[in-house]
Amino acid sequence: MRLSVSLLEHAFAAVLRRRGRNFAIVVGIALVTALAESVTMLTSALIHEYETGAAVVPDLVVQGLVGGRPALLAPDTLVSIASRPGVASIEPRVWGYLYLPSIEANVTIVGLAGSIAQDARILEGRLPRAHGDAALGRALADSLGMRVGDTMALPIGERWETFRVSGIFRASTAMRTADLALVQVADARHLLGMPDDRVTDLAVRLSTSSEAAPIAREIRTLIPSARVLERDLVTRAYALTFGSRSGLFAMMLLPALAALLLLAWDRLTGLGEEERREIAVLKLVGWSTRDVMAVRMLESGVVAFVGTSLGFTLAYADVFMLGAPLLRDALFGWSHLVPALELTPEVSVVDLALLLGSIVVPFVFVSVIPAFLAAMRDPLDGWRAS
Amino acid sequence: MGRPSLAVLALVGSCVALDAWVLASARARRSDGRDARSVVRLVGFPDLALSTNARWLRNPSSVEPWAAVSDHPASLDTEPAGAVIGPPTERP
Repeated sequence: MRLSVSLLEHAFAAVLRRRGRNFAIVVGIALVTALAESVTMLTSALIHEYETGAAVVPDLVVQGLVGGRPALLAPDTLVSIASRPGVASIEPRVWGYLYLPSIEANVTIVGLAGSIAQDARILEGRLPRAHGDAALGRALADSLGMRVGDTMALPIGERWETFRVSGIFRASTAMRTADLALVQVADARHLLGMPDDRVTDLAVRLSTSSEAAPIAREIRTLIPSARVLERDLVTRAYALTFGSRSGLFAMMLLPALAALLLLAWDRLTGLGEEERREIAVLKLVGWSTRDVMAVRMLESGVVAFVGTSLGFTLAYADVFMLGAPLLRDALFGWSHLVPALELTPEVSVVDLALLLGSIVVPFVFVSVIPAFLAAMRDPLDGWRAS
Repeated sequence: MGRPSLAVLALVGSCVALDAWVLASARARRSDGRDARSVVRLVGFPDLALSTNARWLRNPSSVEPWAAVSDHPASLDTEPAGAVIGPPTERP
């Protein structure tokens, strides 16, 4: 198809000539694109965030189940497989939840066992090294008005236990640590009311990850009531969960999508009086059907491209600069301790190309059909009819 | 080219610049995930602290299947975030 400068100029001028209608279409496309794309961007960023951390979780986590509910385990439950080839370590873990009435929030208590190297990038202050030390998540510390070195009291039934804030997790880790209180294992047992001969679960690390399935089978044979979580399965399931749940948001966009379809339908079913006359005149002065269609495609392409680009930019700003104000409430629910939604963008040129392809191409196709039908008519008939 | 054409050309150019800015900004904000991995190594579970008041939403990777509705058969998850974060099934 020949694209001369004059065709281009005519198409561009047509965009401005019908500026009212084109502006409405740009706004419609931008709005629907922004809504749909912000759901997509948020979902992919959350999945990416989860997968980044999931790579270093234990290969297997063994939980006790009694009556279908999680139950505490004896720390030596898996002692018989500890020496099995392929098993690198079995770590008993103590963690759970504690409700703080003062801030009406659930806090995740994690018991820190052994000495772990301090990482200054994630923690301001230091990790809990002694009885009565606690490292808090940023949202929890802010909620309690705590700073490093302050003393706080946590409830154990009717009594209160005093803790010293030895460290506060940095804001960059808030997506995982917002509600966290990291304490020594003995303190965690005390806060959670857990007996000394029981643990929450057992984390099994393997020397070869491919051994996970046979070792999980062995554990299930050894403790039939246990629930064995394999890293690969949980990671895959998580991605599916977020993916399918994002469909719920997409469903909310149906009215907006219907509005866009209405616009497209308007374009498909017929041309305005003025446009029909314009095509007839162009044909009368010697333009070919190809030229008419090229102009029409250019005009529609410009309108759809501008709308899609604006929507893409709005979605990015909404999710990664404003923290998804429209979607965050649904994600956080009624929680009081929530992190700032600072996610790593997972947006590439491929996403943009797919978005443009899925909006601009159908839109151009839809709008070119009536122009083609009008251009195929006898121009004089078209002139008289208009 | 006439003035209207130049105006539309400028509009299209601005949109290309906006798209390029989004892609460049996304690239610049990418992280190597070191902090995330350090936290997960320390804490032991990979879950995101999005909805922190319900255990089936705070730690979806560790809860029993259908924890949200385990108190009563066919009861609904009353937490709004439950519509977005579901406990993962064991066999996807």
